[in-house]
Amino acid sequence: MIRVEDIHKHFGALHVLRGITLDIARGEVVVVVGPSGSGKSTLLRCVNLLVEPDEGRVFIDGVHVNTPDIRPEWVRQQVGMVFQSFNLFTHLTAVQNVTLGLIRVKGTDKDAAEKRGKELLARVGLAAKADAYPAELSGGQQQRVAIARALAMDPKAMLFDEPTSALDPEYIREVLDVMTALAREGMTMIVVSHEMGFARGVASRIVFLDEGKVLEEGPPEEVFAHPKNERTRAFFSKILR
Amino acid sequence: MPSLTYRLRRANLNRIESILALALIFGVIASMTDVLIGDRGLNTVYMGTVVDIFLRGMYLSLYITTASFALGLGIGFLVGWIRTTRTVPFKRLLRDFRLTSADASSHASSQYLLFGLSIVWTGLKYVVRRIMDGYVEIMRGTPLFVQIFFVWSIFIVFLTRMPERDLLAVLLAMTINTGGYQGEIFRGGLQTVHSGQVEAARALGLSRWRAMRYVVLPQTLRLITPPLTNEYIGLLKASALAFYFGVQELTYYAKQEAFSGHVFEAFILTSALYLIVTFTLAKVITMIERRYRIPGLGIQQAPAAGKLSRKETAASG
Repeated sequence: MIRVEDIHKHFGALHVLRGITLDIARGEVVVVVGPSGSGKSTLLRCVNLLVEPDEGRVFIDGVHVNTPDIRPEWVRQQVGMVFQSFNLFTHLTAVQNVTLGLIRVKGTDKDAAEKRGKELLARVGLAAKADAYPAELSGGQQQRVAIARALAMDPKAMLFDEPTSALDPEYIREVLDVMTALAREGMTMIVVSHEMGFARGVASRIVFLDEGKVLEEGPPEEVFAHPKNERTRAFFSKILR
Repeated sequence: MPSLTYRLRRANLNRIESILALALIFGVIASMTDVLIGDRGLNTVYMGTVVDIFLRGMYLSLYITTASFALGLGIGFLVGWIRTTRTVPFKRLLRDFRLTSADASSHASSQYLLFGLSIVWTGLKYVVRRIMDGYVEIMRGTPLFVQIFFVWSIFIVFLTRMPERDLLAVLLAMTINTGGYQGEIFRGGLQTVHSGQVEAARALGLSRWRAMRYVVLPQTLRLITPPLTNEYIGLLKASALAFYFGVQELTYYAKQEAFSGHVFEAFILTSALYLIVTFTLAKVITMIERRYRIPGLGIQQAPAAGKLSRKETAASG
């Protein structure tokens, strides 16, 4: 479904990704963990080409996408993204946030888009908040709208960039619940997160990233219980309680 | 969260405040006039007879101002947008070229062509951006009067016989002037919109232009309405300079009538007309702003939004 092949990325003198290869099958939920600065967010952004890799190839559904022949806008319609700081469009209501992509990218007519938007908001439990502006919503609600907004484009896969780390503790649960439901429905997901409960319960695979390289990967039980790498072990001993 | 009644009371207070302020201003002006020319007396009958031509002058003033402001809006947006774009450093182009040419060495000549084009394109963008920087600096750094003179001289020398020559010269000069100022306003406004907004729009599959059109611009326009209003008012007042070039706008008539012996009447009437327009405009814009206000956008934030933005900055830091 998604394949990244030996990708490298530099930001100036900083070598952020140093040859990462990952294969993600349809319906798989991959949780990427690692210390800050290890390149997790950059890796995600390379998949939907918000960041263009310097070297290496990205495939979506077998199509080599980081070539000049393919419009990055097309790639981004295939892969939805949810951000750490939600990034809801401030000037639009919840339902307008969800329908913007439908109307302006897919060309869906307004009424159909609105109907679909309300369905999606209902799906994330926010039917009642359709006409609220982002500033009138709690962090958890905003993040759920952001998930609905990404889903509106009918993506083949979803990227989550630390979706709960900007949230107050009381709102984390509701966002993780929506993500869990999504995973159960068979959505292909790459999640950068340190929510180990979520990783244990939902992930089909954990990928441990450090200094731009994959140090370890495997099923959660295995990686958590018997980390092979010294750095992985040190990292988990710090975050697992 | 201030209660609704508090806010209503506050709004009423503002209204009363502004009416009081206006009354005070007119009071001061009236008493000053009385002190200055009390024994001469204002010839109100005369004022009534000239109000017609003064209104005609006002109409032209508004026309010049609005036309140059509207044209300047387009220029300002483009200048502001160009000045906020980043250019790719030359070193990166070179590296990308090495990477791609290593990838497909068989298409060497087309690769070189592509590379050449991208260098030309980047160079062009750089040059255009620098020109925009210079344009804004020149417009800000020289007097509008001198700018009008400059443009007018060009018209005088090269377009001597053009109909409405003086009017067009003034209009053009004011357009490029306000274009520069509005470019600076737009740049500030565009930069205030959080970069995450563009990223989210791009992640949905919106093109660069559509992200600008549907996400950044609507927010920017709401943010820059107050400085744009200021610019319009400033421009209207600056349009008084046009009288010097023979354009028959409000100040032109004021000067003409003043020289016919009714100095105070002419200037009081003129000032009043300018004031009525600027004051009404400011009030109308404030009303529109209030009508289209969106929670969390701009300076009038609800406390809940303030808390959120703090959290956001903490999260992105």
